[in-house]
Amino acid sequence: MARRRGARREVVRALTADPRLLARLAGWSVLEAAPALLLGQAVARAIGDGFAAGRPWTGAAWLAVLGAVWVAAAYGARQVVLAVAAMVEPFRERLTARVVAGTIRSAAAAGRPPGSAAVARSTLQVELARDALAAVVMVVRGFLFTAVSVVAGLLALEPRLLPVVLPPFAAGLALFALSLPALARRQRAYLLADERTAAATGDVAAGLRDITACGAEDRAEAAAGRAVAAQAAAGRRLARVTALRTAVLAVGAWAPVLALLAAVPWLRDHGVGPAVVVGALAYLTQSLIPAFTGLVEGLGVSAVRLGVALGRIAETAGPVQRHALPPISAGGDVPHVLLHGVTYAYGPHAAPVVDGLDLTVPAGGHLAVVGPSGIGKSTLAALITGTRRPGAGLVLVGGVPADRLDPAERVLIPQEAYVFAGTLRANLCYHGPPSVPVEEALAAVGADALADRLGGPDAEIDPRALSAGERQLVALARAYLSPARLVVLDEATCHLDPAAEARAEEAFARRPGTLIVIAHRISSARRARAVLLMDGTDVRSGTHDALVATAPLYADLAGHRPPPGRDPEREHAR
Amino acid sequence: MRPGDRLVARTVRGAGPWQAVLAVAVLGGAALQLALPAVLGHALDALTGGRGDARLPLCAAVVGGLVLCETAEVWAAGASGARASSRLRGRALRAVLWGGPATTRRFTEGDLVTRAGVNAEEVGRAPDALVSAAALAVPTLGALAALALLDPWLPAVLLAGLVLITLVLRGFLRDSTAVAGGYQRLQGEIAARFTGALGGAATIAAAGTAGRETARVLAPLPALREHALRLWRANARAGVRTGVTVPLLEIAVLAVGGWRLSAGALTVGGLYAAARYAVLGAGLSGALGGLGRLARARAAAGRLAELLDQPPVAHGDRTLPAGPGTLEFRDVSAPGLTGVAFTVAGGTATAVVGRSGSGKSLLAELAGRLADPAAGAVLLDGVPLPELARAELRRAVGYAFERPVLVGATLADAIGLGTGDPGRVPDAARAACADGFVRRLPRGYATPVAEAPMSGGERQRVGLARAIAQGGRLLVLDDATSSLDTVTERQVSAALTGGGERRTRLIVAHRPATARAADQVVWIDAGRVRAAGTHEELWRDPGYRAVFQEGA
Repeated sequence: MARRRGARREVVRALTADPRLLARLAGWSVLEAAPALLLGQAVARAIGDGFAAGRPWTGAAWLAVLGAVWVAAAYGARQVVLAVAAMVEPFRERLTARVVAGTIRSAAAAGRPPGSAAVARSTLQVELARDALAAVVMVVRGFLFTAVSVVAGLLALEPRLLPVVLPPFAAGLALFALSLPALARRQRAYLLADERTAAATGDVAAGLRDITACGAEDRAEAAAGRAVAAQAAAGRRLARVTALRTAVLAVGAWAPVLALLAAVPWLRDHGVGPAVVVGALAYLTQSLIPAFTGLVEGLGVSAVRLGVALGRIAETAGPVQRHALPPISAGGDVPHVLLHGVTYAYGPHAAPVVDGLDLTVPAGGHLAVVGPSGIGKSTLAALITGTRRPGAGLVLVGGVPADRLDPAERVLIPQEAYVFAGTLRANLCYHGPPSVPVEEALAAVGADALADRLGGPDAEIDPRALSAGERQLVALARAYLSPARLVVLDEATCHLDPAAEARAEEAFARRPGTLIVIAHRISSARRARAVLLMDGTDVRSGTHDALVATAPLYADLAGHRPPPGRDPEREHAR
Repeated sequence: MRPGDRLVARTVRGAGPWQAVLAVAVLGGAALQLALPAVLGHALDALTGGRGDARLPLCAAVVGGLVLCETAEVWAAGASGARASSRLRGRALRAVLWGGPATTRRFTEGDLVTRAGVNAEEVGRAPDALVSAAALAVPTLGALAALALLDPWLPAVLLAGLVLITLVLRGFLRDSTAVAGGYQRLQGEIAARFTGALGGAATIAAAGTAGRETARVLAPLPALREHALRLWRANARAGVRTGVTVPLLEIAVLAVGGWRLSAGALTVGGLYAAARYAVLGAGLSGALGGLGRLARARAAAGRLAELLDQPPVAHGDRTLPAGPGTLEFRDVSAPGLTGVAFTVAGGTATAVVGRSGSGKSLLAELAGRLADPAAGAVLLDGVPLPELARAELRRAVGYAFERPVLVGATLADAIGLGTGDPGRVPDAARAACADGFVRRLPRGYATPVAEAPMSGGERQRVGLARAIAQGGRLLVLDDATSSLDTVTERQVSAALTGGGERRTRLIVAHRPATARAADQVVWIDAGRVRAAGTHEELWRDPGYRAVFQEGA
């Protein structure tokens, strides 16, 4: 409900944002509707006063006037399209901005990007919403102006026409208004069924390997088949109600024509000639019926599409951002990192991946975190960099809660390095003005050869043309340049060879600041002053040598052969 | 005949009785539409001439018939479209499912959704499009003929106008495609920046630069608006031309007809009819839409046919003889693997180790026929896998993956996906150490998969439970315990080896402890078996030890 209100607000805002635009739209609409005002009159006069009265030049003159009005109206129609465009383009931009901001924000919060299909879907929804809004504005406006013009035109032509023509037309309009809710419901149900089928097909494609491995093809077929069948049923229901709409439309359009014909004898008795009847017919068939058709289709289809698209966009974009608390600086010093009783779980009922963790990394310390993949090391990195908040306990960086720390005072390089299209320098200075010359940082992390190959710091780079390892080198040089005094490398060197990895890590070890390395290779742990071994919620810390001696998993990971006659795992599970 | 056209033809034939309804409605509607101006014109003349209203019922009948035809056409088109599209979607789904994982190697996920979605919808509309295209000639030629009957001058005026309209429409298509190109390019640019920024989600979150990134992604918006407005202008320009042409055509016919009226060659009703015929004849542009839809249906059918023509994976009908589950690779080659030969004795565990990208996962896929080798054979208890019946093969082999995709409405469904017996679910979950955390969920096993947030390790355990519930003789574990802590992993492997049953296991592993616990290790290097033996034997080779240095 709130979502629907939000969607309505968005539309109202688009329509009323610029009153001058609204006035312009109204003005051009009057011109566009001018033939609707004049058409019947001109035809009636051309025939009645001209051709039928033996004065063909008078008839031709009236037709010439009508032609000129049509040309002017076509110009008005052009201006109307441009005014509507000026209305819906900002609307589209606002929607795009909401989608982009919301998706980036939620991807940042989740730490994992949605698929490219989701991106394509949201782009499409924005396009659909814009086109639908344009269509709705066009038809509603067109109908209103035309209807008023036609009524005025009929009134001027012959007031007796109105009681003949208007009641059946009003009845058709009322019939349409009555059928609109059902029509909108069916249309909406169909759009949603279509989305569900697409989702079911996507699920089958994504789970194909697992479905085949489980021999569950028939069950998957039955499950997706249900979505397909539901869509077909929704399609049939929509076809029925569309047929009803067509019938309603036809009745509303043709009943006035038949009523007019039936009234011809009565009209003739009151001195209304055939030319006026033809003029009235022209009003009906040339102006009112097309406008009514547009209205029926526009409201029955476009308005529903607009509602559904806006609902989807609101889902993607999430709630409008609340203002976050202001960040806090930890002061200029190299920070220490303190975790006290930290617990984190993915859901309220999921087992914690980090449970009651206590950890201290002194200012200027160098810690390596080691453990099996997926065990929660990246979660720990996210907790320390404040992008995830612990369920319980405290994470302090330089005495400041990690999620409140000024982002400029820490830097995280994740496994998937982020490089954007732009100059190399723009990429490197991402975290603010560099503290040392760019060339020095490139040389320190071993990215100098890459920078030379790319054409120096001011060369434009295309991230897609770089290998995963090259992107990591760029991200490493960027982190090296940042003013931050806490650096967290989350498998940030996994695409480099061991020698390049050693060079980069040593550069960071020399750089003043606190360093935390989520290790991809055990060699990273050998270089660190302290090692944290994560094994489920069982966590041990110590130096490399101490852990080799006391933790069989660590010895195993470190490639040390266990002493003969001892089962290391039993030892560990003790 | 191209495959796409064959598909269109089959769809049209498959529309059944709806096709007949459509044809009658469309042709009948066209004929009535053609008759209407003449009938109305005559009625007008009769009524204004004071000759009573004997024609009025005829008008009402024609209008009623027209309404009926239009309604029937819309209904038939919608219903036959829904039926045809759902059939095509069903076929597309079957083609994907029974084509096996090879399908997703050929088509991306998004592509499959498009083909089974939008494309099936467009092909489903083929019957309607075909009938509309076939009926195209009726209003145009009919209007010309009717005009000629009214007065020979009139069709000449209309024809000249029609030529003008055709030229206008051609000009419009040229205009807008050129402008649309620039618009789509900028849209693609924004999408690319957007996808890129989303890929950097972790970096952006930590750097607190979400606002800046949003601005960067949206930077091309002003230029996009420029192109969008150009597109609108092109549209508006074309609108001016068509918006002027049709009324001017009508006015021209009215003027010429008016002169004939003055000369006494035409009645007022005839003049009215002539004006309506002019509009009907000029409606060619709308009728051309039917041709456009047919062209789209044919193009969509081509894309859909590519998917539908994919052969399903063929299975034999043999059953397995009694046996311990011996797995044999006999000189197996596939893109990425060459001449792989080894045997896993029934009831034993074999670890497959190797650097990432060496072909381990492909080997695991071959072991249970998720892929077929290009040469050589894989045998289970002496039977080549392709000769086995599908149900027999899947009953015998259970798969667990590093990143399992959980398919099913609830967790119970997801775990029981490979077995017909839901009673095996809790035991399998216990063996995979998944029972505990599943029971802690608010609705336990009945929790919908989408509502159960899980860590990588928990997801792996659900995937393991699924494999354990399913595979009777052979379990293929492709890095399926990589995210488990050592205690859980030991419990899981104890459950797999202990108890009454001893299933054959093929385990793709990264940890030395896993390799050490296996009866045999097959070391894969660059697509070949570099060595096979026990972990202790292979450990002497520094190259073997180096394999484990990756991925602490």
